[in-house]
Amino acid sequence: MTSSPGLLAYLLIPLFTAVAIPFAARFRTRMADVLANVTLLAGLLNLSLLLFDPANADSSFSAIPDDGFSLLMVFVIYLVGLCVTFFSTYFMEEGSGVARAPYFALIMTSVSAMCGIVTTGDFFTLYIFIEVLAVSSFALIASGERTGGLEGAIKYLLLTFPASLFILLGVAFLMLTAGTFSFEGVKTLVASGMPAGGTVFAVSLLLLGFLIKSGVVPFHAWTPDAYEGAYSPVSAFLAGIVTKIAGVYAVIKIAIILRLFDVKTCPAADILMFLGMLSIAVGAVAALRQNELKRMLAFSSISQVGYIVLAAGIGTPLAILGAIFHLVNHATFKTTLYLNSASLEKGAGTSDMTKLGGMEHSMPWTSWTSVVALMSTAGVPPLSGFWSKLLIIVALWDGGARIYAVLALLFSIVTLAYFMVMQRKVFFGKPTEASRAAREVRPAMLAPVVAMSVLIVALGVFFPYIYAYLVDTVAARIIL
Amino acid sequence: MTASFSLDWFFISLIFVAGLYGMMVSRSLLRQFISLEIMSKASLLGLISAGAKTGNLALAQTFIITMIVIEVVVVAAGLALLVKNYRLTGSIDVWSLNKLKG
Amino acid sequence: MTYHNLLFILVVLSAVAAVMARDLLLNALMLALVSVGTALLLFDFQAPWAGVFELSVCAGLITVLFVSAVSLIRREDGKVEDSRARFRAMPLVMGIAAIALWLYGIPFFEALENWSRFSDRTASLGTIIWDTRRFDLVGQVSMLAAGVLVIRSIFPRRKK
Repeated sequence: MTSSPGLLAYLLIPLFTAVAIPFAARFRTRMADVLANVTLLAGLLNLSLLLFDPANADSSFSAIPDDGFSLLMVFVIYLVGLCVTFFSTYFMEEGSGVARAPYFALIMTSVSAMCGIVTTGDFFTLYIFIEVLAVSSFALIASGERTGGLEGAIKYLLLTFPASLFILLGVAFLMLTAGTFSFEGVKTLVASGMPAGGTVFAVSLLLLGFLIKSGVVPFHAWTPDAYEGAYSPVSAFLAGIVTKIAGVYAVIKIAIILRLFDVKTCPAADILMFLGMLSIAVGAVAALRQNELKRMLAFSSISQVGYIVLAAGIGTPLAILGAIFHLVNHATFKTTLYLNSASLEKGAGTSDMTKLGGMEHSMPWTSWTSVVALMSTAGVPPLSGFWSKLLIIVALWDGGARIYAVLALLFSIVTLAYFMVMQRKVFFGKPTEASRAAREVRPAMLAPVVAMSVLIVALGVFFPYIYAYLVDTVAARIIL
Repeated sequence: MTASFSLDWFFISLIFVAGLYGMMVSRSLLRQFISLEIMSKASLLGLISAGAKTGNLALAQTFIITMIVIEVVVVAAGLALLVKNYRLTGSIDVWSLNKLKG
Repeated sequence: MTYHNLLFILVVLSAVAAVMARDLLLNALMLALVSVGTALLLFDFQAPWAGVFELSVCAGLITVLFVSAVSLIRREDGKVEDSRARFRAMPLVMGIAAIALWLYGIPFFEALENWSRFSDRTASLGTIIWDTRRFDLVGQVSMLAAGVLVIRSIFPRRKK
């Protein structure tokens, strides 16, 4: 059933850890986070050895098991997972209301479920793992003492469960008209050129479900609430990876399957591109008006998802590569920003942007890592975000959607503008009362964000290697 | 009147519409969950109808069994959230979920 | 096959009742009726295993969950000021939906029926569960694990 059986271990081991954590935590509570961190670190090291072996480039990545997209996604999942668990180990310290053992066990379950989502090659299995992920994220959002978390979790539930039902109806129609659920099977069916009306209808229903789950604009109501209300490290987990894997990953997969660039008559592509553009615009404009840092980041996240969906809509190989790379970049910079907002909450006691100012004096590390991540989001040249946006815009221009290309470029400038405004307000300028009293958080909490910032710079500098990886493993093996 | 496929789906869509309407007009969270359950019953019947039509009955049954397991866990999680929210705020009104705004 | 269609009508009617009923307990019981109707339909579709699961788990367990939630909430201010007019309008809406679906839905589903392709799978239920869909079982196991953890996380045990 898996498209890449070699990756099964990355799914099963976190699941075992998740089951083991409550038992281990009976003896010592700290065993919970030790176990979670060790498991994720081991997996991450293993994956890095596989991915970043310099010999790869010479052998055109023949050492990589067949599906490069899944492998890259598993790497990102482990990376974000490790950053979040490591951060929350120290964040949680002062006896908050969070139950330690279930919290870390749930993070491990969701890591396992996400690995299931990216390794499976079958729509129904995808549905199962998405539900596992959704259920564990309800509880993660609701952990912590504020009632905002519960509110966000309930809103998430009320929107994500109907979306799952659309996915199920899509599966039913797929059973009726295609008789197969595997990505490969549907892809051959669509590519074989036979009139695939029913199959396309089924896949469109699936697409609708995944679009609701990824929070593009008409369906974005839950995203800011869930991100803002969630327990702070959980927002990083949620924004960085969970909603992206639950929705956007599947949208990219479907774009690959439908071969949107061949079947240009298919209106699904136009709708996808329109929704993508709408999310970019609405997200960017709404982000300008926010005062609460986490809420602003949530709207910027909607806007970035818009870029990915727009690229998936044009559907050429180059655009898909851009979408995948932007997904990876989004995970790195959004995790950094959300973890930093959690640090701000802890160090300065607030994440309200009107009360913050001149943070570079009191919290230099937090400020400068945020600035790196912000510049990457806005697409400033040497950083990784620039390359993925460039790929997407070039692909749009080549694919004939020139208006969209120009608009995407314009809104990328708007992104830069609102981040400039925000940097001015929060990190530079005159220190306010709250920021004079602020203290830098402990080094252990800075380690994940510093590592992520290094990665952002490295992904930008070593872009040729990444591009070669994407071309050789994704474009050559999956798309064509 | 024979049991035809399109008639099955006529009823299935009616059940789905009933659930959807319930979700849209109701303000009680519990009633919203019940409407969700009704919608999920509709998609369950859709699966079995498609399976019976194409001779995939065994496969459809496997899917339904899996789906029921998932449904139970989702409902349990949802009700747990609802009860906790009720304990903290004393209300199960959807409109009381308005502390986060922007 | 009148029995089949009558069952469907029963499910539709109890679904409408489950949404419309004023009392939360009645809502939950009507949902149980929907489940029972669905289970009977599953038996009628020659899907006994799914029917048994539906009857025991959905009509049984989920109803118990809903009823216990209702009894936890009911006492004081479980009543929410719903506008009853919208609920009274429901039969009308359902009627309109039924007519619209009869006119536009049925031709659409007939077209879909023409797209259908028959499978030549003859595998039994057991083979499919344990061999073809083995990966789904991993998903089910992690779902159950997640369920237990979710409950433990939402209602943490108080330390003494």
